[in-house]
Amino acid sequence: MSDERLLCVSEEPEVAVALVRLARSLTGPGTGRVVAVVLPGSAPDAAERLAAAGADEVRPVDGPALTDPHVVADLLAEIVAAVSPSVLLVGSTKRGREAAGHLAGVLDLPATTGVTGLRLDADGIRVDREALSGNAVAVERIVRRPAIVAMMPGFSAPPAAPSPSPGRVRQPPRATAPLTERTELRPKAGGQLEIEKADRIVTIGRGLRKKEDLPIVEALARALGAEVGCTRPLAAEAGWLTDDHWIGLTGHRVHPALYVAVGVSGAVQHLVGMRSSRVVVAINKDPNAPIFAQADYRITGDLYQIVPALTKALGG
Amino acid sequence: MGEKLRIWTAVKHGLDVNLTRADRTTGLVRVESAPRKTSDFDKNAVEEAVRVRERLGGVVTAISVGGPAAREALREAIAIGADEAILVTGDRWAEWDTRAVARLLAAATRKLGGFDLFLLGEGSTDHFAGLVGPRLAGELRCAGIAYARRLTAAAEGVVVEKDLEKEVEVVRAAYPVVVSVGQEINTPRIPTFMANLKASKKEVRVLGPPDLDVPAEALAPVVVVERVAVPEIPRKQQTIAGTTPDEIAARLRDALRGEGVLP
Ligand SMILES: Cc1cc2nc3c(=O)[nH]c(=O)nc-3n(C[C@H](O)[C@H](O)[C@H](O)COP(=O)(O)OP(=O)(O)OC[C@H]3O[C@@H](n4cnc5c(N)ncnc54)[C@H](O)[C@@H]3O)c2cc1C
Repeated sequence: MSDERLLCVSEEPEVAVALVRLARSLTGPGTGRVVAVVLPGSAPDAAERLAAAGADEVRPVDGPALTDPHVVADLLAEIVAAVSPSVLLVGSTKRGREAAGHLAGVLDLPATTGVTGLRLDADGIRVDREALSGNAVAVERIVRRPAIVAMMPGFSAPPAAPSPSPGRVRQPPRATAPLTERTELRPKAGGQLEIEKADRIVTIGRGLRKKEDLPIVEALARALGAEVGCTRPLAAEAGWLTDDHWIGLTGHRVHPALYVAVGVSGAVQHLVGMRSSRVVVAINKDPNAPIFAQADYRITGDLYQIVPALTKALGG
Repeated sequence: MGEKLRIWTAVKHGLDVNLTRADRTTGLVRVESAPRKTSDFDKNAVEEAVRVRERLGGVVTAISVGGPAAREALREAIAIGADEAILVTGDRWAEWDTRAVARLLAAATRKLGGFDLFLLGEGSTDHFAGLVGPRLAGELRCAGIAYARRLTAAAEGVVVEKDLEKEVEVVRAAYPVVVSVGQEINTPRIPTFMANLKASKKEVRVLGPPDLDVPAEALAPVVVVERVAVPEIPRKQQTIAGTTPDEIAARLRDALRGEGVLP
């Protein structure tokens, strides 16, 4: 427990709530101070939800939604000056990392991203973060406060602990001129699937010879009540599946109860996305494929024979 | 921009994540002795820089902050098509964190006359923090655009398609601008034998923090890596075999039923 001030902000409502819960558990109930920024364009109940999660103070910012990192950094710099937190917690989303970096440059603050664990020690702030493309976990010590810590979305947040009398401070918008201009915002193709929430996933890799063969894998997924995932080449290079199916370092991190990797070699950048699956099945024709070292059940064989047989065995 | 477009590109000589191994008993990775290579996305940045020059003219300056071996990353950048190479190095380079790197990059651009377009990878293959590009823009108080998947450069500025988790954002900025790129922006060319040969003869300009007016204190690490370990996740590693695909499938189904993971 510590008597520190922690500032939380994220453009993702769920992440923002998780950050506040984490901050509250770090200070302990009744000690320190947890302040949460409500970004412009948030849902009407955002401030309430942050207070219920444990914020002592919410700071709603008026005005239109902010996208330019320079404008976001300028606003956050002002709030940091007003609140003087020891840690600014943000989400390690793309926008979160970008804003964190920009602000860190403006204020010359220490910053780290992709964090899964955070401790406020007397000799510094300690974080666990992914390292070596997710191959490893690094422990980093931040030697100076304030610091910016970007938490990996989906990190395990402690339960909510509402503050007895949360305060509300209106944060006026700033008149900073943006340095970039948004001309368009469009949803990505696909984009509806939330594979990070799936309970069962069948992932297909380059072992699939052509797009027309996808139904073989989709049939297995149906029989298992699973979503279809894929490796980077299938989404980014071949375009056979949209980005929302992409699992790995540059795709999605998933943690299903069952993960079936079909024709996937098991590159480190892929493994980082699926490592926290509970039961892993690998089907690969190469007995030396690295994925086998990460599997509970290993089948060496041709996916074109095994997958249809498995679908049938499951009654599909 | 002035007469000629000034394009900078940063390359990191980072750890080769496919070749780093953990000690069997401790699970710790010995980072100091691990093999290194040019960070993947930085090659995309160099390629994009060269493409912009091919269309609009200008000069491509490749810069690396690191140890003596980082010359290899600069050699690769020259082989792809960069015109000049700068190595920023010093006795304590191994402890420079993302803050120190961004400060040195910023100082180098200030010292050497500025830039119009600064391209770099959106994350390094080893650290993957995604901070150096945005930090550099923040440090210089200039426009920054991260996660670029497509870039169109013109005489006055750039239009970038930015790849967010669920959206594509199209963003416009005037020079100077720092753009961090992902792997999807292009496929870096494989340098020809001649290009490689010429690149290995190219002179690299070596600068230290004092040459860039950066005092040593300004580079003292604020984020220190204490340990890097490979987490051991126990897996059953059970082989399911049989004489026919149907037999194998039935065995797997039974195993999964036993695990309680079937619907
Ligand atoms: C910075 C960076 C980030 C990256 N991010 C990601 C990421 O987020 N996600 C990701 O997935 N990758 C990522 N990658 C790419 C990664 O390194 C690998 O290239 C990729 O994961 C390989 O995909 P794959 O397993 O489908 O293909 P391959 O490596 O080509 O493997 C295909 C496998 O299929 C097997 N196979 C072939 N035919 C059959 C058959 N008939 N039956 C059964 N098995 C068969 C082969 O034995 C082989 O093991 C990234 C790379 C870099 C450098």
